[in-house]
Amino acid sequence: MSRLRFDPGSSTAYRTGDWRRARPIYADRWPPCGAGCPAGEDIQAYLALLQAGREEAAWRKLTEQNPFPAVCGRICPHPCESACNRARVDEAVAIHQVERHLGDLARGRGFAHDRPRAAAAERHVGVVGAGPAGLSCAYQLARVGYRVTIYDAASEPGGTLRWGVPDYRLPKDALLHEVEAILALGVTLRLGVRIGADLSAGELRTRHDAVFTAIGNGLPLVPAEADVTGHGVDSGIAFLRRVNAGERPSLPARVAVIGAGNTAIDVARCARRLGAAEVTIVSPQDRPGHRPGQPAEEMTALPTEIAQAEAEGVRLLLRLGVQRLVRSGEHLDGLQLAYVDHVFDDAGRFRPVLYEGTETFLPADRVIVATGQQPDWSGLDVLQPDPAAGIFAGGDCVGGARTAVAAIGSGHQAAEDVMAYLEGRAPVELGRAATASFDTLHTHYYRRVPRHTSVEADTDERQRDFREVQSGLESVAVAAEAARCLSCGVCMECDNCWHFCPDAAVIKLGPGQRYRFDYEYCKGCGICAAECPTGHIRMEAESGT
Amino acid sequence: MDRRDPFRLNALTSGHRACSGCGQAMAARMVGDLIGPDAIFVNATGCLQVFTTHNAQSAWQVPWLHSVFANAAAVASGVEAARRGLPGSERVVVQAGDGGTFDIGLQCLSGMIERGHDALFVCYDNEAYMNTGVQRSGSTPHAARTTTSPPGRLSEGKRHLKKDMLAIVAAHHMPYAATASVAFFPDLKAKVEKAMRLRGPRFLHVFSPCPLGWDHDAAASVQVARLAVETGLFPLVELEYGAVTGVMRLAQRRPVEDYLRLQGRFKHLFKDAHGAAELRHLQALADANIRRYGLLDATTAWDTGEAGRAQRGGRGGYAPAHGAAS
Ligand SMILES: Cc1ncc(C[n+]2csc(CCOP(=O)(O)OP(=O)(O)O)c2C)c(N)n1
Ligand code: SF4
Ligand code: SF4
Ligand code: SF4
Repeated sequence: MSRLRFDPGSSTAYRTGDWRRARPIYADRWPPCGAGCPAGEDIQAYLALLQAGREEAAWRKLTEQNPFPAVCGRICPHPCESACNRARVDEAVAIHQVERHLGDLARGRGFAHDRPRAAAAERHVGVVGAGPAGLSCAYQLARVGYRVTIYDAASEPGGTLRWGVPDYRLPKDALLHEVEAILALGVTLRLGVRIGADLSAGELRTRHDAVFTAIGNGLPLVPAEADVTGHGVDSGIAFLRRVNAGERPSLPARVAVIGAGNTAIDVARCARRLGAAEVTIVSPQDRPGHRPGQPAEEMTALPTEIAQAEAEGVRLLLRLGVQRLVRSGEHLDGLQLAYVDHVFDDAGRFRPVLYEGTETFLPADRVIVATGQQPDWSGLDVLQPDPAAGIFAGGDCVGGARTAVAAIGSGHQAAEDVMAYLEGRAPVELGRAATASFDTLHTHYYRRVPRHTSVEADTDERQRDFREVQSGLESVAVAAEAARCLSCGVCMECDNCWHFCPDAAVIKLGPGQRYRFDYEYCKGCGICAAECPTGHIRMEAESGT
Repeated sequence: MDRRDPFRLNALTSGHRACSGCGQAMAARMVGDLIGPDAIFVNATGCLQVFTTHNAQSAWQVPWLHSVFANAAAVASGVEAARRGLPGSERVVVQAGDGGTFDIGLQCLSGMIERGHDALFVCYDNEAYMNTGVQRSGSTPHAARTTTSPPGRLSEGKRHLKKDMLAIVAAHHMPYAATASVAFFPDLKAKVEKAMRLRGPRFLHVFSPCPLGWDHDAAASVQVARLAVETGLFPLVELEYGAVTGVMRLAQRRPVEDYLRLQGRFKHLFKDAHGAAELRHLQALADANIRRYGLLDATTAWDTGEAGRAQRGGRGGYAPAHGAAS
């Protein structure tokens, strides 16, 4: 029948959809927070669940990618927040506070990870190292039903989180709870077993269908240039390991810490707590943000950590390199320092060049060297990564960002690689680039709301012991932070498209069900896309136009 | 009946022949669904009437009638009078374009108000006689291009000013007269609901961009409507018995250029010194509105920032569609 013949009745008999030159399409975009998170958390999704008051569901959504929210909420440098679109509206969403809150809530309420319904396979994966990478890998494998055994030389699990991060940043019980939640999935943990010594790497390989090695960076890395060894000299990681084992070594009055990273800061802050009166960090690099365009010339320590250390009386000597230890016989007098021209050579190697004639003397009774770490592969030759043979490695020991969250992401990717290997398929690359860029949003639709901040323990009080420095947020503030999320690229059911469509071509499906376009009638005006706050609607040219 | 959407009556539904991006269709859909099914809609001649009732096909899912161009308010008066004492609770709503309100329909509207009929008159203002091809009306703003006010060497576009329709209506001992905009749905909703709680004559003036007549992008209709308010050119106000009782404060005041630049009907103003002088004139008209209603410092419930927000889960919708599960 000709579409120009009409019978009396409803206009709906006339399909205006064929007027259309472009069609609107509902499609999620991937927000920059999730893309910025090395663990790939679906931050937008759990913030939305939290806004709906669904706390447990929010924790489950978060832990799909990261089983360590209480840990990361405390110690992660939160690159998610640096990437957050909201930073360009007012201030970034305090994602780490929400993360921490959900982690602590899980502990308080006893949320447990879902156990696999059935064993995925009788395949047995060995994981070397019970740090964040190893635990993350084990977690992802165990969730889908693989058998996993983790080996660790230490007496407790957690790796760097357990032995490298002091209590005032990460209370041990917060870590332990999240580790136990992973083990509760049926993961076997063998402590006190050093692969390559107590059990040979070859033997380990024969016991498992695949092996993931995540041994971290356990050995100190000291630049060869300056000879800083001998009496009165300690290694930063060894020192932190002792403190984190519960020892409270007594320190002399004047402690010099050499280094520019978070380990140096932690060493210095522990030294203050152990009674050292004068704690000085000697860093060849400048403060973060003080050398625009020259990131290598800036300290890698986080600005907030530096600020907290300085508030606790730690002194920073910047742009100074160590020339030598000054001794009277065996006795350590201090350090001879000189100002630095540049720290890295053209090839990016650590080769500080010091100005002759600028030497100064720093008195010190103890020098603690925190200039870096490297992995200890001794006895582990057969575990050098070889994906085709089912041997994988990840976390700090293979380089990369050297943060817990990067290790967690790396462990997750390793689990995917292991599963792909065992299932005989190609692995999926988990990282995704952001598609919900700032210019896809219509930000005038959002209210300006300042970010909520938490309090720090009193600077004097907190130096008396290892109590936690940074507090969390109250649940109302956490909910308010979740509500600050712009929901970049993901429909928030604001109804705009539905209200504005002049053609009744947007059908509301109900709470949680979103909307659908009725292409029989949509004329393709593009108003819905132009007025979608979140950038969830894109217009696509109709073929043949 | 079309019941595709359980959350909206779709008083004015799909298949109508309005241009893509029509602000009047958008506005009439919002107003119709806010009023709901218990109403009789009387329409003046104009785009809304023509595009919703083409070739014996009606897009209306509510009682609706049309007589001629000038007499919608008179027909509505008769409907309302005839309904008195009969069972049923339907309210009477009149709908007209700006021509059918400011010009040819003005006399009937004035009589309807003067006689105190219980009817809501909604003017969908697209600032010209659009249905017959964009002729100037008493609502067309100064300096706008229409087919009967073409800009040229000796013409700045429309020479005269836009009538102050709200003041004319309010001068009738009018219980309620308000302006509203599609760009601020929560405000529009509050005003329709308030109007429907009241009895007697009521008037709602809804700004309705027209991509064809104003020569702007179809996708820009809401943006244009928003800027008309934010520049002060279309103040959102409420008048009760002539007194100003509600003003939407401007959270951010925008220069009139931001609004004018989006529309081809003002293109000639950006060409030469003559146009620049007219731009200053239009800015002065906006400034006069801002002063008159205190748009920058009125202490009222919300401002264009607040009323223009979106939020998760929406900011209120419509009564669920009749007979549909919600
Ligand atoms: C007495 C009379 N004169 C002229 C017309 C022709 N006519 C039909 S619609 C219309 C314009 C309507 O303009 P407006 O009321 O502004 O509504 P719009 O179409 O712009 O929405 C005109 C002039 C008519 N139908 N009746
Ligand atoms: S506003 Fe929300 S979704 Fe957007 S980047 Fe920030 S946290 Fe992510
Ligand atoms: S607003 Fe309606 S008609 Fe316009 S593109 Fe969107 S769905 Fe289609
Ligand atoms: S306009 Fe609102 S409801 Fe529509 S897709 Fe965008 S976020 Fe979702």
